[in-house]
Amino acid sequence: MMPDLSQVGPAVDPAAPVPVDSKVPAVVFDHVSKTYGRIHALSNINLAISGGVTGILGLNGAGKSTLFNLLMGRCRPSSGEVRLFGIDPWKDPSPYARVGFVPESEKLHDWMTAGDFVATFARLHGLGREQAQAEAERVLTFVGLQENIHSEIGRFSKGMRQRVKIAHALVNDPDLIVLDEPLTGCDPLARTTIMNVVRELGRMGRTVLVSSHILHEIERITEQIVLLHHGQVLALGNVHGIRARLDRIPHRILIHTDDANRLAKTTLDLEHVHGVLLPGEGKVEILTHDLGAVHSALPSLLVNGGFNVHRIDNPDDDLESIIGHLVGGGGA
Amino acid sequence: MADEATKAWAALDRKATAVAEFTLRQYRTRLSTWVVVGCVAVALGTILLFYLQAMSEEVVAVDNDGDASDPDGDGYPTGQEVSLGTDPYFALDHPGNFDPPVAPDPPERWIDEDGPSFSNAVVLDGSTTFGVDDDGDCSGADVPERSKDSNGNGEACDIVLRTTYSGASYMLSDGAVDEDPSEAALLPEVTHRAFLLGYGKLGVVFIVGIFVPLFLASGLIRTEIASGTMHYMLAKPIARGEVLLYRMLGYLTLVWPVSAALVLLSAVVTGLAAPGDGWLRVSDLGLWLAILLATWLALLVYGMLFMTLGVMWRFGIVLAIPFAAWEFGMAFLSMGLPSSPLLRVSVIGWCLSIIDAATRLVWKDHDLFVAYTSDGTVWGSAGPPGEALAFLTSNAPFDLSPTWNIAIAVLVLLLQAGLIWLVGAALFNGKEIA
Amino acid sequence: MLGLPEDADAGTEAADDVRFDEASPVTGASRIEAAWTGQDDGSASVAGAGDASGHVFTQTYLPWSGTLNPRWARNWAVYRHHLAGLVRSGHRPWPVLVRLYLLLVLIGAAADMFPILLSSILGDGASIVSVFGVSRNSLYAHVLGFFPRNILYYPVVTALIVGTMISEDRLNGTSALYFSRPISRLDYVVMKYLAAASVLGLLCIGTLVLFYFAEVLAMGRGWAWVVDTFPLLMAAVAAGGLLVVTYTSLGLGLSSVSTNGYFPAIGLLALVLGTKSLAEIVGLLFEQDVLYLFSPYDALANVGQHLLGIESNYDLPWTWSLVSVVAMNAVALYVLAGRVASMEVTRE
Repeated sequence: MMPDLSQVGPAVDPAAPVPVDSKVPAVVFDHVSKTYGRIHALSNINLAISGGVTGILGLNGAGKSTLFNLLMGRCRPSSGEVRLFGIDPWKDPSPYARVGFVPESEKLHDWMTAGDFVATFARLHGLGREQAQAEAERVLTFVGLQENIHSEIGRFSKGMRQRVKIAHALVNDPDLIVLDEPLTGCDPLARTTIMNVVRELGRMGRTVLVSSHILHEIERITEQIVLLHHGQVLALGNVHGIRARLDRIPHRILIHTDDANRLAKTTLDLEHVHGVLLPGEGKVEILTHDLGAVHSALPSLLVNGGFNVHRIDNPDDDLESIIGHLVGGGGA
Repeated sequence: MADEATKAWAALDRKATAVAEFTLRQYRTRLSTWVVVGCVAVALGTILLFYLQAMSEEVVAVDNDGDASDPDGDGYPTGQEVSLGTDPYFALDHPGNFDPPVAPDPPERWIDEDGPSFSNAVVLDGSTTFGVDDDGDCSGADVPERSKDSNGNGEACDIVLRTTYSGASYMLSDGAVDEDPSEAALLPEVTHRAFLLGYGKLGVVFIVGIFVPLFLASGLIRTEIASGTMHYMLAKPIARGEVLLYRMLGYLTLVWPVSAALVLLSAVVTGLAAPGDGWLRVSDLGLWLAILLATWLALLVYGMLFMTLGVMWRFGIVLAIPFAAWEFGMAFLSMGLPSSPLLRVSVIGWCLSIIDAATRLVWKDHDLFVAYTSDGTVWGSAGPPGEALAFLTSNAPFDLSPTWNIAIAVLVLLLQAGLIWLVGAALFNGKEIA
Repeated sequence: MLGLPEDADAGTEAADDVRFDEASPVTGASRIEAAWTGQDDGSASVAGAGDASGHVFTQTYLPWSGTLNPRWARNWAVYRHHLAGLVRSGHRPWPVLVRLYLLLVLIGAAADMFPILLSSILGDGASIVSVFGVSRNSLYAHVLGFFPRNILYYPVVTALIVGTMISEDRLNGTSALYFSRPISRLDYVVMKYLAAASVLGLLCIGTLVLFYFAEVLAMGRGWAWVVDTFPLLMAAVAAGGLLVVTYTSLGLGLSSVSTNGYFPAIGLLALVLGTKSLAEIVGLLFEQDVLYLFSPYDALANVGQHLLGIESNYDLPWTWSLVSVVAMNAVALYVLAGRVASMEVTRE
């Protein structure tokens, strides 16, 4: 698969609510808590997820892996209920027929070839030998490993291993795909390929859960996020929507221009602008509570003033600063 | 409905085959598998070499009753003089004085002339009698009546076998009956039977039955969990108990044929070198089959047990080590004190009882044979050759026919395996593999 | 990356305040600067922020002039790390089950002391002590008795201790922790060996000495008795030492070959019990004793019987058994030395 370097996600209206499927949601966490001794890995998680790509975000130790372990029946909740397609995965392994899981650990059976590995474990879904072989070739082609079907996994690079794991998860055509930190340790090319695969799956209508702590990569894949911090859900929904709700903290617009001082004086006159900073040579930072209004007024102001603008950024509108604001309580 | 059933069965069958195949291939890539199989083969081969060497040794004929000697120096052996009524200690009284004179027998005629005959054994009132006086020194005319029946069972010139209340057997002989057995006929047979029992019980059932599962089965679940690849098998629509079962299936598909090959090889080698008529002794095949059955069941039960210990917790396999040592002690106990009730709760006790029961099926005269060859009176200063055989022979645990004993043992072992599987599945189901 | 200071117009002028002579303290900053300097006078230079061209610095590594602990102190740290972990946290973590088993074996191995103490409490001196007291046979049985000591105690303890000693380092690459410090590979392996041997020695020889002194104390033995029996004690200690050394060598040799924690443990047990079983079978069936030479336990027992002057139940000369013991140790130590010398300091 050729890497797609235009990393633009689908445009979603930031004010629109998160769509809820009327059928049984794929993943339900109902007042779920998980404690290991004195450590509260998760506290009172309430989630229902269905359809599209959802990013599970959090710093290390926030509880992302625990969330996935509960979902995949690898541990049981200390309280509350976990439902996978309406069934408790700890008690009944049948929902796994519709689930593909890409775990975080990089351990694979190095002595197997990629095709072998995917085909053998495909047979655990009840596929016959030839059918499993055909499906394995199909998914390995989908992730871009069609040249390496008969190579041993032991010789693969990190990115190729990740793709083998993704292929293994896709072989049974699952309705829910769960990826635990799929981009860790991959080189940029492999990262792009994997991101494209995930986006593709979301577009095909599957439910995809992706966890990461590398925030700028998640925002290239999806805009629906669940933000975890210290085992609790801190925010849920569209990135821009979340940001829009953080009204008390001013948004910033960073403009790189040649004539910073003059631009600063001009923008001070705009409505909704409550401060202007000059953080450095050639940079103007506008502080505002209403991003939309300022952005609509900005183009005419720039053109009329004849300013030579190199770049316009919204440094606050990315996930790092969202977490920073929600968690740290302070501005950057 | 039938279609659903066949689909469900096909799915089950496919999953089982997939996991079993995967397990086999995993074994093939690991060095430890080959090392273990190689070491076991070498160990068994070493013992077989000793057997071949023992079988090729010359057996020296011994005159157990001393009647080939000629104390009076008249050229006639004692046995001949006694049978013809002359005095063996008086040089002038010998059959050469008869009319017509009787030629002196060569001494070899009076060595190994009265061996045991087990075929005419009769069971009367719980004790067995056997024995035929081949050389006539008991039933001869000038032997007093009371010494013809010195064991007092009413039969003249026989041997009676009695068992004490503790299960030991002892022989009472009527004097000069079966007192000079042919070493060339008996000693190789003793060695052969002792070898089959010792090799079968300790070599095959114990060494193969315990050490192979210890190395190969304990890692079936444990190494997968430790290396983090377990979830590839678990995050599938397959129950955890099923995973245990199918992994066991893969393990058995490796070890059962390997052990069968080893046992077959041993059977052929010993069959070729065994004493008896013909170039291949096939009558022992029944015993080898029993040894194979006992080994297979030992591999199954121990495999289940060690796999389950690996499931329990990361260091559960530590328990396997003292357990193996304990079973080692049990193996020796089953030979030294076969009636001990402790053996009924050990695995190896039941496995060895299969072999014990089969011994009676294959060798119908075994009790008499053991009693005769381990009795000290016949064999003199060299010592009875059958002591090892007597140690290795035990009675089957129940006072039923051998087939019933085997059936009970097989059932108990399968039950043990099933029980361990259920416990393992329950443990595995409750285990959080984070 | 060196953080470039804001006022980095210093160019390549030497900073006067950074000097490296005998009196200057060893601090991290000066060490980094020392690594980057090109001048012998120990001065530092900082790259200017406005330089358009790059600079290539010749790196001269100056020797560290601090004091290093003596070698024995470093080795003691390794040894202590392994042993203290058995009783304390903060050192090498031993699994709970292993520690429990060691405790049980300690009690079991010291068990032959209890009848003597009991008889001294009861006052019934002669009869119990004549059976359970110190004698050639009881000293031999303490060290080399087959059941239960050499089935359940000593080999299993060795197996549990040496199992993960080297194989864990090979698996996790934690040998790098040792070899990136001034600890040679010889020190590494010798200290591990001594740690394992110490535990086994305590359980075998330590309890033996306890047993001996229990009799001295409990039965009020005088110097005459001690003079009589001390050579026996020394012989038993020698036999025990041979046992400790042999089992430890075999165990560590196996541990250095594998990356799995329990293969060496099971392998040692298989070696000791398996060769014993084989030798027993062949001895029983064919009355050939040659396989007793290949069984570590039987070779040690034969030598031990000679040392303690009790009747040997092997038909083999004890010298052959001694040669066999030495050969086994040599092979095991050769394997161990080879594997440790070639051990990669990464995850294998």
